[in-house]
This record gives sequence, C-alpha cells and structure tokens, in this order.
Amino acid sequence: MTLAPTRGSKRRAIATPAVARRPLGFFLALPPIILILLFVGFPIVLAFAFSIGLTGGLNHVIASIGLNVHEAENWWGTPAAYIEVLSNSRILRDLSVTVGVTALSTVIVIFLALGIGLFLKLRDGRMARLLSGLAIIPLFIPVVIASWAIVTFYSGDGFVRSVFAQFGVEAPVWAFTMVAVVIGSVWTSLPFAVLMITSGLQAIPNAMIEAARDAGAGFLRIVVSILIPMAFVPILIAVTFTAIGVVGSFTVPYFTGPNAPNMLGVSMSNYFSAFNQPQQSVVMAFIVFVIASGIAAAYVWANFRSAKDQGKV
Amino acid sequence: MTLIEKIHSTTPTHRETDAGGSRGLRVRGLHKVLGGRTIIDNLDLTVQDGELVSLLGPSGCGKTTTLRMIAGFLAPDAGSIQVHDREVSALGAEKRPSAMVFQNYALWPHMTVVKNVGFPLKLRRLGKKEIEQRVDAVLALVNLLHHKHSRPARISGGEQQRVALARALVQEPELLLLDEPLSNLDAKLRVKVREDIREIQQRLGITTLIVTHDQEEAMSMSDRIAVMNAGKIEQFSRPAELYSRPETEFVATFIGSLNRIEGSLVNGAVVPGDDVIGIRPEDVVFTLHASFDARPAVVERVVPHGHFHEIYLKRDDATLRAFASGLPPAPGDRGHAAIQNALTFRQGRLVTTGGVAL
Ligand SMILES: Nc1ncnc2c1ncn2[C@@H]1O[C@H](COP(=O)(O)OP(=O)(O)OP(=O)(O)O)[C@@H](O)[C@H]1O
Ligand SMILES: [Mg+2]
Repeated sequence: MTLAPTRGSKRRAIATPAVARRPLGFFLALPPIILILLFVGFPIVLAFAFSIGLTGGLNHVIASIGLNVHEAENWWGTPAAYIEVLSNSRILRDLSVTVGVTALSTVIVIFLALGIGLFLKLRDGRMARLLSGLAIIPLFIPVVIASWAIVTFYSGDGFVRSVFAQFGVEAPVWAFTMVAVVIGSVWTSLPFAVLMITSGLQAIPNAMIEAARDAGAGFLRIVVSILIPMAFVPILIAVTFTAIGVVGSFTVPYFTGPNAPNMLGVSMSNYFSAFNQPQQSVVMAFIVFVIASGIAAAYVWANFRSAKDQGKV
Repeated sequence: MTLIEKIHSTTPTHRETDAGGSRGLRVRGLHKVLGGRTIIDNLDLTVQDGELVSLLGPSGCGKTTTLRMIAGFLAPDAGSIQVHDREVSALGAEKRPSAMVFQNYALWPHMTVVKNVGFPLKLRRLGKKEIEQRVDAVLALVNLLHHKHSRPARISGGEQQRVALARALVQEPELLLLDEPLSNLDAKLRVKVREDIREIQQRLGITTLIVTHDQEEAMSMSDRIAVMNAGKIEQFSRPAELYSRPETEFVATFIGSLNRIEGSLVNGAVVPGDDVIGIRPEDVVFTLHASFDARPAVVERVVPHGHFHEIYLKRDDATLRAFASGLPPAPGDRGHAAIQNALTFRQGRLVTTGGVAL
C-alpha cells in the first residue's frame, strides 16, 4: 500500500495519541474477535484435532460414540483417517464429482454473467436490462424451493418429459443426476456473479471502449483486451465466490443429485449421521476446506498482482 | 512520407494540396436530433489538408456531438462526412481514418505507456520490430521515452495527455480529432501543451480538428476557428478576423470582451435606435482632458486585472467599459471618453465596422 513513504512522518505526527489509541482500538475490536475465536475458531481447532486422531478431552464423547475412529498413539496425531478417506474409492469418486461440478458450474456461471454484463455494457437496452434483472431473481427464492422445482421439472413424470412426450419424443430424465446438480448450482450462483460482473463492467468508462474502437478494435478485441482485463478483479471475485460456494454446497446436490457418487457436502452428511463415522466426515470437510483455500489463495494472489499492475501497491 | 520520416525532418511539412484542393475534412448537411431536440442543425464544415481548425462555442452547443459524429461514435441522422474526398459516414469508428484524443485521455490503466501507444499498431498486425520503432519514434516526439514502461496511473496529467496524443499520432491518421484536450491541465501546463500540440501538428502536417470552449486556446493555436452556437456554425474564419470582424452579434460577444449597447453611433455619441452597437473595451479611450469626439465621463469603478485595468465609465449617453494600462484613474475622477471603433449589428448581423458600411 502507500504506507511506505509516509510511515516516518506519520509515526512522528501521531506518536503520542497512538500510545493511547492503540489499546482502545484493540478493545473495540475485541468482542467480535472473541466471538469468532470462541464460536468458529475453537470448534475448528477441535475438529482438526479429532481428524488427526486426538480423541481425548473435549473430543472424547464424539470419539466414543462414532464408529471406525482412528486414535493417535502420540500427542502429534496420526494421518490414518486421512489415509483411509483418500484411499476410499467411493469418496474419491465423490471428490472428483465435486471438483468436476464446481469447475463446470463456475465456467457456466461466469460465462453467463459475462454475457449478460457485456450485453448490458455494449448494447444497453430494454432486453439487456430485463436479462440482468431476471438473473437476480434466484437471490430471492430459497434454495430448497428452487431445488424441488428443478427436480419436479426434470423428473421422469416432470414438465420437460411431458411436453416432449406430446410430440412422441423421449426426453432424458435429469432429476437426481449430476446434470440437475449443475443446473441447480448455476441457478444459485448466478445472481451474485451477475451483480459482481455487471457492476465491474459498468464501472469501466465508455471512453475506454471508444478509444479502443478508435484504435481499430472490433467487438472481440474490445472484450478480450480492454473489458475483461479492466474488470479482472470483479470477475475474479465472482469466480472464487462461485467456486467456493459450489464446492461446499449441500442443499442443491442433496435434493437434486443421485445417491452416489454425489458431492462431498452430501457424503459428509451421510458419513456424519447415516454412517455414524464423524471422523471421516470431518476429514472430508478439511479436504473441501483445502480446495476452497486453494481457490482463495489464487484470488488473493491475482488481486495483489493486478493492484501492483495498476500501481497501487 | 512516413510518420517517422516526418518526425525526423526539421522543416514543416508542406501542405500537399493538389490543384483540385484536396480536402482534409468535408462535412455537409450534418444533422442530429437527440432526445427530441435538434442538436446539430444542417452543419457544413471544410478543413483544408494540414490545417488546424478549432470548434469553439459555449457549453452545450453541440461541439462534442459534432466531433463524435466525425469520429464515428455517433451516427448522424443526415449528412455526409468526407476525409480526403472519401465518404466515411457509413463506416464504424474502427474503420475510419481518423484518430481521437479524448477529454479524459481514456488511457487503458492495465497497459503500460508502450502498450497503450502500440495497441493500434498491434491491431493492424504489424511486425513486432516495426511497432517498436514507430512507438519509440512517436514517444520521442512527445518527449516521453523515459516513461515507456510506466502505467498511466503513475504519470502526471500532462504526461497522460501526451500519451493520449501519441496513441493517436502513432496511427498516422488522416484526420486528428481532439475533444477539449487541455481542459484537465492547470493554466501553465495548458499553455505549454497547446504549444507542443501546435508544433507537432505543424511538423507532421496533420489535418486537425480541436474542440474547445476556451477562446484563448482556440485563438492561439488554430489556423481557423469555427464558432458554433446552438448546433450551427456562426462564423468560420481566421482568429484575427474573428475578433476584428465578427459577423454576428453572438460571435462578437462570445469572442473577447464587448460593450453591448442598444442604439446606434452618431458622431461618437450613442443615440437610441433598433440596432446594436458593440464596442471593444480597448476601443474606449479615457483621458482627463477633452479631445475631438470625446464626451465627458465619470469613473465609476476600477477593476485591476494584473497588467491592465478595467474601468467603468459613465457618460451621459451610455455606460462603457474601457481597458487601460499604466497608472489607473480613481473612482470619481472626471474626464473624457472617446469611442474609437465600433461594430454595428442589425438583427444580429454585422452591418458596419468602425463607421464603414459593409
Ligand atoms: N444522448 C443524448 N440525448 C439527449 N441529449 C443529448 C445527448 N447527448 C447530448 N445531448 C445534448 O446535446 C447538446 C450538445 O451536447 P454536446 O455534448 O455536444 O455539447 P458541447 O458543445 O460539447 O458542450 P461542452 O462544452 O459542455 O462539452 C447538449 O444540450 C446535450 O444536453
Ligand atoms: Mg463537450
């Protein structure tokens, strides 16, 4: 940031008040910090300890109720549960389905959102506004309801097949398949991506586009060389939020997906309650967490790089 | 001659006008209605090859609209636009032989200076080597080689302005369009950059159209000025003529300062009438002693303007403003004021100048 050149003078200027202010600021920030540590941080630490087989103390009860719990013989834990989960071919299939659905849904969502955003930016008209308005609707419809709507729409006796049957055409059954999961994921993720990307594109001054046209750039050139790079950060935020949202989704795959293989969110729940194997469930949660933080790291890195490019860092 | 050759030649490029009179830009019957209002009303404009013309007018008169139609960002409702005798009005902005410098420069923030300037050439699929040469040449021309790899956000406003100019020049346009190119610069820099632009334009001999609402800017850099008002061109002539022989009352009041008095001038005195007389303040001479055709006057107010003073004078027939240098009189001083030159307008149009009927 721009701190570097001013640091010296700043320190001198606020030397005395800073001493008084720093503890005050800390105390003001304390309640939310304590809240997060207590209600989010602490359970995470406990869960991680449980996943590496540290079953003593507060993990004692869950370890004694759960089945198939790997216990560590020493204080630093054991990777046994991780090894078991990662060598379980059923879970690995769930993992690859999760990654696949996430990638596909993200690509579709970003593609649609970019399309709507570009349409709105370059051909602002009633049609474009209608489209961008429609894309926001899923935001106001609870996911459970939308999931049921998708299931009944594409089910064996659903709307799609009934209509096709009128013409003697056998339409595929998409309910309880990964296709329905992707459709549901796109449905739930689209509003945020559209909001993010359209506002990012709208923020680009029209003169930038006109300057490119003046230089001889056609539509595709303007999109690739000017609009996407200039809206890079909002697009990236949309990508990461969509991907992280889909990777950890539960409702949509639970309602619209098949029994197996399904996304990790569903298997996690199955292992936790149906199979009573909480440790395996927690391990899966950490695997999803690692994937999500990988996406988040890409986001932070790219964000930083673009800030650097624009001379802000 | 290529741009690079032109840049390196020290003599100004001669205007290559052939016998027929090659026209840099020829606009005929341009018409535009926006939001139910006629913004551009049947406008004609011809810019000679290599000439620098300013489009000058008050805010909202349609200057930007005209320029945007010439550049191809806005489709005219009617009219023809020819660049070097080639009709371009059907072409999109990307296909026109003109290049534009935008008011806020419109530099792409994610590209360095070289990339910004090289972008138009990259689109023309020129070789890497040639792009580099041409970009370097034009950056040298605008004196920015040392900022080659800077981002637009990291350079000053004046430098950004020059990058925008370089990005337009590198395309070797047949027509250079500038929309208020200096309005974001401070007063000192404005004078410097406008001299730079004029010098480069002369050196390259590029046909140029500049939009401005600053008359001093227009006066100092243009070959000719087109004064616009309400979607029409009121007068199109050389700067000096615009000042000394404004064809309409609007031009007279818009360019420079003017005492506007209803009536007419008879033997140095204002008599009531239907005409309008316009007297430049420098044509009002205030002296302490009486002289031929001067009438008694009282100094009402003195406003200092640095190197000159504006003096408000009350005569029995009219109130006049005069410009005076040297030691100013004090309010309340009595003396004599003479009108040395006046423009007479009938129904808004010039009929006499300095007592000479047209
Ligand atoms: N898209 C539009 N719809 C309706 N009216 C418009 C539109 N664009 C411009 N106008 C009107 O056209 C008139 C001329 O606008 P223009 O931008 O050409 O003025 P200008 O001479 O460049 O003024 P300035 O010196 O303030 O830039 C203005 O009254 C403006 O309100
Ligand atoms: Mg304008």
